[in-house]
Amino acid sequence: MALLELRHVDISYGNRVTVKDCDLTLEEGEICSIVGESGSGKTTVIRAVLGLIAGGGRVTAGEILYEGRSLLDLSPREWRALRGHDISMIFQDSGAMMNQTRRIGSCFVEYIRTHENVSKKEAWEKGEDMLARMRLPDPDRIMRSYPFQLSGGQRQRVGIAMGMTYQPKLLLADEPTSALDVTTQAQIVRQMMELRDEYGTAIIIVTHDIGVASYMADRVVVMKDGVIEDQGTREHVLYETDNPYTRKLMEAVPSVGGKRYV
Amino acid sequence: MFDEKDLILEARHVTRRFPAAGGRSLIACNDVNLKMYRGKTLGLVGESGCGKSTFMRFLVWLDTPSEGEIIYRGMDITKLKGRKLWEMRQHIQMVFQDPSTSFNPKMRIRDIVCEPLLNYGRIHASEKDAKARELLEMVELPGDFADRYPHNMSGGQRQRVAIARALALEPEIIIMDEATSALDVSVQETIIELITRLQREKNITIGFICHNLGLIQSFAHQIAVMYLGNIVEVMPGEGMADVCCHPYSRALLDAVFDTKMDFSKKIEPIQGEPPSPLNIPAGCPFADRCPHCQDRCLRERPVLKPVGPDHEVACHRFAKGANG
Ligand SMILES: Nc1ncnc2c1ncn2[C@@H]1O[C@H](COP(=O)(O)OP(=O)(O)OP(=O)(O)O)[C@@H](O)[C@H]1O
Ligand SMILES: Nc1ncnc2c1ncn2[C@@H]1O[C@H](COP(=O)(O)OP(=O)(O)O)[C@@H](O)[C@H]1O
Ligand code: SF4
Ligand SMILES: [Mg+2]
Ligand SMILES: [Mg+2]
Repeated sequence: MALLELRHVDISYGNRVTVKDCDLTLEEGEICSIVGESGSGKTTVIRAVLGLIAGGGRVTAGEILYEGRSLLDLSPREWRALRGHDISMIFQDSGAMMNQTRRIGSCFVEYIRTHENVSKKEAWEKGEDMLARMRLPDPDRIMRSYPFQLSGGQRQRVGIAMGMTYQPKLLLADEPTSALDVTTQAQIVRQMMELRDEYGTAIIIVTHDIGVASYMADRVVVMKDGVIEDQGTREHVLYETDNPYTRKLMEAVPSVGGKRYV
Repeated sequence: MFDEKDLILEARHVTRRFPAAGGRSLIACNDVNLKMYRGKTLGLVGESGCGKSTFMRFLVWLDTPSEGEIIYRGMDITKLKGRKLWEMRQHIQMVFQDPSTSFNPKMRIRDIVCEPLLNYGRIHASEKDAKARELLEMVELPGDFADRYPHNMSGGQRQRVAIARALALEPEIIIMDEATSALDVSVQETIIELITRLQREKNITIGFICHNLGLIQSFAHQIAVMYLGNIVEVMPGEGMADVCCHPYSRALLDAVFDTKMDFSKKIEPIQGEPPSPLNIPAGCPFADRCPHCQDRCLRERPVLKPVGPDHEVACHRFAKGANG
């Protein structure tokens, strides 16, 4: 049985069907990248998996199965049990999702205590330990900082650390490195790969960086106008596909020592 | 490759200090020396916060250096005031990163692209329609877009409008700060094709800020790498990957995920983050992250030295055996 399966899923905002007939399967420990132009529906798809589509969007056809069980008819209580524990999400700017008036440590402790019956002290230690595992220098100082006192890369790693606390089986990451520079991006990509290698976490990553998508993924999904245009191994999308849209997208990727425009 | 007679702008010993808490000062640019050449692109790369925007902002008078001079048309433009400054501004224009926030949402595209022309009295209000159409067509947008508002366009289209507006005054130099970072790859490519075509046709000089060395090397003639406010390497854009040698530049290059890379190889990004610009180390600014750091690097700051044609490096490893 697959870990996650989307079968003929339509997702609509109001009356408009934004994502059409989406079929996607993810095995345990598999990494899948979703690429495609802005507005093609990438965020919409992964938010649907977490039952968190913004602005009144909803799944209007098809099924989403997690370990064979339909996610679409879960009660709010069942959702809470699943989110954070089995399935986690990392957003483009974790910093913006954080409460700016509270220190990292206080949020982290609260997060842990909603999932686990532990003392504040134990929760604090667990949080610090997660930050250390994300190779954040000086975890104690980070726990005592406000989000705005951290750099974008540090905030993002805090977001990943929270998302990974319960070693979820499925991690959904929406443009987790797009706001970061190349060095920080490389560090975070490496950390996500290590999560898979160490804990067998399956990952869906949405990114517009085709290089990152290809490097990380066992499978690359190409979306266009709400439809999955093409999908396959990175060799398929990079070299083998006949799909004209995928080819156009791949040819537009700048490459060191490749095409020059001047 | 670069002919000194094409030198159009030169920054000499430019430093910017910002006052910080506790009477300290933050050094955002430290003794920067750079040259820009007519019709060529200078790419400025480095991690976020290293001082790229701080430097480029001097060229469009959004800020003034604490020390140093910037020579353009025989004058130190950092000292200009009043009428002279107003006149000079026409020749250097800027395009910003986020096309969705850089326009007034209540203005139509026609008024956005023609505003600079009207300010400088280059056209009459009656010529606006025709001029807007011409400018939009130059950036390969339908002339009818003149009637639209910015929010009715995609990010890539808005960035074309920003370019049309920046080019309206036919400037000699155009500065682009992460101008394609918010766009997806296919749109990014069309923008790069557009600006390189306009550069050829109009002999424009471009200053392009970017943190992706993979992108910048595809169209820059000259690349400057910045670390903690210091220029650590200046090299030609063409064949950059073969000559680039500063340990920091190499690290930046290794951090690029390229579709032609070896996917089985584990990436080895440099760890940690740059030191705070409030505490710039005494020796080499990169010393605490550099795999080749020696005693000397901790004591003595390396300065830019020529190592090849149009190629300078600030690193003690390359101080000897310089051939240029
Ligand atoms: N709350 C909403 N209400 C109405 N339409 C929406 C809403 N959110 C997204 N859409 C529309 O749905 C489509 C898909 O949006 P989505 O955010 O999934 O795109 P995306 O592929 O993630 O794009 P990007 O790369 O820009 O993040 C777009 O046309 C968008 O305008
Ligand atoms: N107006 C300002 N006041 C104080 N510090 C500033 C100001 N502008 C920039 N800085 C600091 O100067 C450094 C360089 O910033 P910036 O030039 O924006 O970097 P980049 O464009 O390379 O990302 C950063 O440490 C930044 O926080
Ligand atoms: S001067 Fe020393 S520390 Fe600095 S980059 Fe060169 S080898 Fe590394
Ligand atoms: Mg999105
Ligand atoms: Mg900047």
